[in-house]
Amino acid sequence: MAAADVPMVVLQSSDESIFSVEQKIAERSMLIKNMIEDLGTPGDEPIPIMNVTETVLRKVLDWCDHHKNDPPPTTEDDADSRKKTTDIEDWDQKYMQVDQEMLFEIILAANYMDIKALLDVGCKTVANMIKGKSPEEIRKTFNIQNDFTPEEEDQIRRENEWAEDR
Amino acid sequence: MSQNGMTVRPQPPMPTNKDDIVGTWNYLEWGVERIMLSLKEGVDLKTYMSLYTSIHNFCTAQKAVGQQPQNNLNSNHRGAHLLGEDLYHRLNEYLKRHLTSVHEELVKHSDEALLTFYIKEWKRYTTAGMYNQHLFRYLNRHWVKREVDEGKKDIYDIYTLHLVRWKEDMFGSTQNAVMDAVLRLVEKQRNGETIEQSKIKDVVDSFVSLGIDDSDSSKSTLDVYRQYFEKPFLEATSKYYVAESQQFLAENSVVDYMKKAEERLDQEKERVGIYLKEEIMQPLMKTCEQALIAKHAVILRDEFQVLLDNDREEDMARMYKLLARIPEGLDPLRTRFEAHVRRAGLLAVEKLAGQGENLDPKSYVDALLEVHTQYAALVKTAFTGESEFVRSLDNACREYVNRNKVCEKNTTRSPELLAKHADNVLKRSTKATEEDDMEKILNEVMTIFKYIEDKDVFQKFYSKTLAKRLVNGTSSSMDAETSMISKLKDASGFEYTNKLQRMFQDMQTSKDLNIAYSDWRDGNLEKEDRKDEIDAFYQILGTGFWPLTPPTTPFIPPTAIVKTYERFQNFYNAKHGGRKLTWLWHLCKGEIRANYIKQGRVPYTFQVSTHQMAIMLMFNDSDTVQYDDIAETTKLEKATLDPSIGIMIKAKILTSNPDGAVPQSGTSFSLNHGFKHKKVKVNLNVQIKSEQKQEAEETHKTIEEDRKMLMQSAIVRIMKSRKQMKHAQLVGETIQQIKSRFSPKIPDIKKCIDILLEKEYLERLDNDELGYLA
Repeated sequence: MAAADVPMVVLQSSDESIFSVEQKIAERSMLIKNMIEDLGTPGDEPIPIMNVTETVLRKVLDWCDHHKNDPPPTTEDDADSRKKTTDIEDWDQKYMQVDQEMLFEIILAANYMDIKALLDVGCKTVANMIKGKSPEEIRKTFNIQNDFTPEEEDQIRRENEWAEDR
Repeated sequence: MSQNGMTVRPQPPMPTNKDDIVGTWNYLEWGVERIMLSLKEGVDLKTYMSLYTSIHNFCTAQKAVGQQPQNNLNSNHRGAHLLGEDLYHRLNEYLKRHLTSVHEELVKHSDEALLTFYIKEWKRYTTAGMYNQHLFRYLNRHWVKREVDEGKKDIYDIYTLHLVRWKEDMFGSTQNAVMDAVLRLVEKQRNGETIEQSKIKDVVDSFVSLGIDDSDSSKSTLDVYRQYFEKPFLEATSKYYVAESQQFLAENSVVDYMKKAEERLDQEKERVGIYLKEEIMQPLMKTCEQALIAKHAVILRDEFQVLLDNDREEDMARMYKLLARIPEGLDPLRTRFEAHVRRAGLLAVEKLAGQGENLDPKSYVDALLEVHTQYAALVKTAFTGESEFVRSLDNACREYVNRNKVCEKNTTRSPELLAKHADNVLKRSTKATEEDDMEKILNEVMTIFKYIEDKDVFQKFYSKTLAKRLVNGTSSSMDAETSMISKLKDASGFEYTNKLQRMFQDMQTSKDLNIAYSDWRDGNLEKEDRKDEIDAFYQILGTGFWPLTPPTTPFIPPTAIVKTYERFQNFYNAKHGGRKLTWLWHLCKGEIRANYIKQGRVPYTFQVSTHQMAIMLMFNDSDTVQYDDIAETTKLEKATLDPSIGIMIKAKILTSNPDGAVPQSGTSFSLNHGFKHKKVKVNLNVQIKSEQKQEAEETHKTIEEDRKMLMQSAIVRIMKSRKQMKHAQLVGETIQQIKSRFSPKIPDIKKCIDILLEKEYLERLDNDELGYLA
């Protein structure tokens, strides 16, 4: 329950649904954080989150709520350690157990709203889906059409020979 | 302000087509201009979000993949293709256009108005830059980041792009005028006018922000600030103070100038805190110090002598503080100070030099002290007790203590007089010295002692006088004696005071021995045996430790005391077999009660030397005694005998016949029964003048002997450890070893080396080398 003195903001999804959330939760998004910094607290005026639909925004805000007490993202450098591992904490793994379409929507929203940690978790999830699969299997998983000519495919194989498991 | 001639354009629609660069930019330019020019009127939430979203949408459009199929393979290393280049360059162009119009407006102003305009525009521009940094964040995060990661020069994050544009399109052509205005403001303030200080601070901040590190645009450098602000600021400062100080000095006294300079330095220091960057403190202070102090150092130093002569302590302190700020500023002051103190010391001594041989030790020591005390105080108050000034003071004192008018003929006069002064202080006298005063006086003696070069001479005279005080029991306080010895020990080491301490031990041992002797007599002697006994106190003094000379004359002690001292001698020999006792009769004394004359009903008591005792006891048998009989009975030599009788004649205890004859063969002496004296106790045991002088001469002679021994033993010690050494090197090292006792002269050392060569302790080798012979 939110006490009266906890600052709140109102978000509006592209399909004009209204979300009233703690400012602290909304500020996991750098877009919102910077905007409040520039324009001041908007009060009751809804902030239009133009590229995100109600369902996706709700899902994104779930994540922000759970992570509201995480230390604020430091400068870009800290990514290094996280980039190298595909480990995902339990809560996030469960959170990401959604259909593929939703997964991509979350990634796009995180990218748009500038929530770096969420974007990372989304990309790692996708990476884990690719890991250990052959090109054919990957194409199947993501429903990708093979548009390479045989010559092109050969060239790529040669260029990337060094990376093959032997 | 006006809109710089631009009209407010109507809001274009938010682009609907993601990859429409014209539509997107058209919309963005409208937004950016709104932020740039009318931020005050506010940007609403919706506009803000729309601008951000337009940029996001443009950058995430899919068109590039379709448009550049031929690049698919070649661009593999770049991974996904990133969009945004167009937006970046269009923004860049927009900023150029904007600044050109601002610049056109700026050049219409001048001086302070120009400054105001610059600051106003700068603030508006950078605030807008911060907004744009956020709005274009998507571009920053992806396209800009990729370009920078790939090492592209000239691509910056959006805020830095604002700064770069300002630096190139505004700063280059305006900084001169801006700085001129700043410097005029500062000059006004230095002239005492009130200015708007915040303006200068704003300019400083602006110049600092423009220091963009080319190798890493996320970092900043102070290069721009240093070159365009700090440098001209320092130049103007220097110019201002060079001119001001010259004029001020031409019209005012040096003392007033120092106050002015001090004030100026404080003001400049304060200025840094108010509106300059902390980094300028050091160079600014250096610049001011150069113009205000270093340039006038010669005039200041010349004034120093005047201040010294007139004891202007406060002004000297001010001069010290000023000159301490410039490198090597104080050295000439120290030199002058040293010379001045030396002169003062020499002058003080010269005033006393007229007294010649009879110079009162106290006046001499007081004169030395007074100069030291005065200038030690000055060093402490005016020169903050700085160690180099203390050194100068010490040098000066060492000079005037050891080489002054009084020491001119006899270089060892200073330690001799100091030791005599110490003796007078420590001797029991009529004017009792309070314990606190005593300690103070002893500390003063030590102050001068520190400067004495011939410490061995002091040691000699001091041990002589100490021996006398102990033997004669004339010390005023044993606490004071031990305190003084521990001070000497602290100053010159254990060895220096070793013998002095042994003398004290002997005194204690003697006391115990006398008690033991008394007990022994009580237990072993018959009543009959003790009938003729004389009360006596014996002091056993170790030959090596006491600076006492054996008797110079033969002497037969009076029969009355023979039994008594022989008994003690037997007792002592029985107790310590193998020790040889030598009686120092010339140092012994006793009391004789004169039963033949009385003061009222009390007989007089004469305090006499043993010599006098022997003479006087002869009058027990006859009222008149011949000189020759006395000489025969006592065996005393004329040099001792004559003055001993002389004192008794002078005291009118004896009269000579013929009347007034000097003691010599043929003269006879009679008891004066009409003797009168205001005291019952009459002291006849006064030291004979000629003896005193002789003693001093002997002391000097032994000093020479001791010095030779000291030098020789030092040389042997050095050679024993080195085995082989150059002559010159040996001389140098010998001086090093001995200098704490006295300053040896090189010819004396050479003489000592020759003696040692002769005695075959050393040998000559080739190459001017000396060798040690075991």
